[in-house]
Amino acid sequence: MDIGGYLGKILRVDLSRRKTSIEELSEPFIKKWVGGVGFGARYLYEEVPAGVKWSDPENRLIWTTGPLAGSGVYGAGTFNVASKGPLTNLAGSSQANGYFGAYLKFSGFDGIIFQGKASDLVYLLVKEGKAEIRDGRHLAGKDVWETEDALRKELGVKEKDVSVYAIGPSGEHGVLYSAIVGDRGHLAAHNGLGTVMGSKNLKAVVAYRGKRNFQIKHPDLLKEKNEALFEHAKGFGPFYQWGTGGGFSALYGIGCLPVRNYTTNIFPEHERMNGQYMRTHFEIRPMPCYMCRIAHVKEVTVTEGPYKGFVGEEPEYEQLAAWGPQIGNTDLGAVVMLTREVDRLGLDCNEASWTIGWVMECYEKGILSQKDLDGLDMRWGNVEGVRTLLNKIARREGIGDLLAEGVMRASKKIGGQAEDCAIYTMKGCTPRSHDHRGGRWAELFDTCVTNTSTLEATWAGVHTQLVDLPVVSDPFSHEEVSTMNAKFNGIRQFDDCLGTCRIASTNPKLQLECVNAVTGWELSLEDAFQIGRRVVNQLRVFNFRHGMKKEDERPSKRYGSIPVDGPAQNKNIMEKWDWMLENYYTLMGWDPKTGKPLPETLRKLGLEDLIKDL
Amino acid sequence: MNRVTIELWLWLGKELKGFESVTEMRSVKEESVEEGTTIRQLLDRLARSHPPIAEKVFDLTEKRVYPYVVINYNDRVISPYEVYDKVLKDGDKITILPMYVGG
Repeated sequence: MDIGGYLGKILRVDLSRRKTSIEELSEPFIKKWVGGVGFGARYLYEEVPAGVKWSDPENRLIWTTGPLAGSGVYGAGTFNVASKGPLTNLAGSSQANGYFGAYLKFSGFDGIIFQGKASDLVYLLVKEGKAEIRDGRHLAGKDVWETEDALRKELGVKEKDVSVYAIGPSGEHGVLYSAIVGDRGHLAAHNGLGTVMGSKNLKAVVAYRGKRNFQIKHPDLLKEKNEALFEHAKGFGPFYQWGTGGGFSALYGIGCLPVRNYTTNIFPEHERMNGQYMRTHFEIRPMPCYMCRIAHVKEVTVTEGPYKGFVGEEPEYEQLAAWGPQIGNTDLGAVVMLTREVDRLGLDCNEASWTIGWVMECYEKGILSQKDLDGLDMRWGNVEGVRTLLNKIARREGIGDLLAEGVMRASKKIGGQAEDCAIYTMKGCTPRSHDHRGGRWAELFDTCVTNTSTLEATWAGVHTQLVDLPVVSDPFSHEEVSTMNAKFNGIRQFDDCLGTCRIASTNPKLQLECVNAVTGWELSLEDAFQIGRRVVNQLRVFNFRHGMKKEDERPSKRYGSIPVDGPAQNKNIMEKWDWMLENYYTLMGWDPKTGKPLPETLRKLGLEDLIKDL
Repeated sequence: MNRVTIELWLWLGKELKGFESVTEMRSVKEESVEEGTTIRQLLDRLARSHPPIAEKVFDLTEKRVYPYVVINYNDRVISPYEVYDKVLKDGDKITILPMYVGG
């Protein structure tokens, strides 16, 4: 392989036949799709035809990394998982940080494609260019922490000798929002990718640490650009000092903190639940990802309140929001407890929290009774009730069986007023843990038009000046938001091709210079946008082929409702929703009436072969 | 003269003379402004008297806040198209927030 940053090898694992094989990646394929979500999008399209359901053995589960993983770029241990996911029954793509992306390459592979279904629970081990499917029946029922412990013990290795990603009880029981969890608290969480893994009877994947086994084309240049990238990330936002929780109160200030399932935007306790409070009051220990100097993730010991002494991974912003204001909880220690519980069970925190917040609102309104909820008193803030309910969901016990379907399906089954309270997109996925009706319309719009089941175009709002685009002046402007989401679209999907962490790589231009230093390419910013847009369009064609409709690109009634109080009171995104869609479609080169990519758009992106599908 | 309150969240508070840190993350100052003073004029005045505000909040050359800054008016997010020319009334409150990425 003459391109730096790659092994040029994909491992194919046929779980039905319990066979593994190795396939070579061609240089044109690598240049066209780069890695991560790019590889995932293309393989998914080529190997999962229309008619294949997410639960069919013929669905693929595609784990891929990219040129920066393991290259020495700080924090580059990321990998991407793509599949047809259960929440939308469309494409799903999600990234996890930690070590796996680097270790997979050190083990000899740029990616793994899982197909088929094992007859019993198995796990996969990859090491020194070889792979072995092993009996995993003894791991049945274990949570992800127990699974990591059991595998390290079985293999006789120390903590950092291997990277382990696994599913918990929820993935084994077919909860539709199960995540793939590993490296002590990192997750590929969106659109039930862990559910697909469970449907294949695959419990875990283990990759060994090793030495760098691929070329770096310009090592001195990489060193220089990597340092500059770190300095930028260090000074960008609150991450370095306060973690993602450092933005918690700022989000409250613009009406973006989800409070009690969007029934209010008032949460004065935010100052005792943000990253600043946590890092100045709780005991904190660093828990960095592979070669990361930003180390925005820590381990904490709770030092006050009912959960004093509890040790867990530091909740990130989304977990603070999900297990704090969204469920009416004001105790930060309880957030740490619930964060650990959700992760160990292998659930997606966002979908779980929207589901439980919905239950609590229904309970408050008398739509669901204690009897309906197996005797649980699900009043706002009852964190022990939430813990019990999470465990019921993870094993589909009692009311947990309905709630395991996610908030859209559960609310439709109850119907009536219950359906009006549920927060989701009409495709079936849910937003990250924000109230996007506040100053993040860009993210609300992105969440609804996404082809990946999570954010596609933006990064937590719009930060367009980093790539020489104008700043969005008014976050509540229908025109500015839909226009800038289209113009910005591409660079984030390019980022998700690379195998590095977004928090550690905050400057797209410096990140691109690192890519060029590793690979030996001379990609321009426009090239990077083009590659990202190719990925977006590839996923979109896959989705249309699998039944997506324009009507699905909308929020649910509650998700698109008007805030009744707080900083964004009376702001109404829905009054011009259809106009926003048509504007966005047009600027993306899609048919403004159907949202389908136009033939000339696909041609410009080198995707002529997809025209026949539309 | 009108009395207005300026509140800074999450940053700068301890670096600014005349601001009182009411909590670990909020700093507050009351200011007297003449009748007819706009928010832009107030921010301009604050930036001139407090160099960190000129460095991180209000661009004295462009006469507008930097891209990562949000201004709330009486606890409401307000469109930047309206905010600058808003004439301050007695008892008004201006909150200056960072627009953080991530999370």
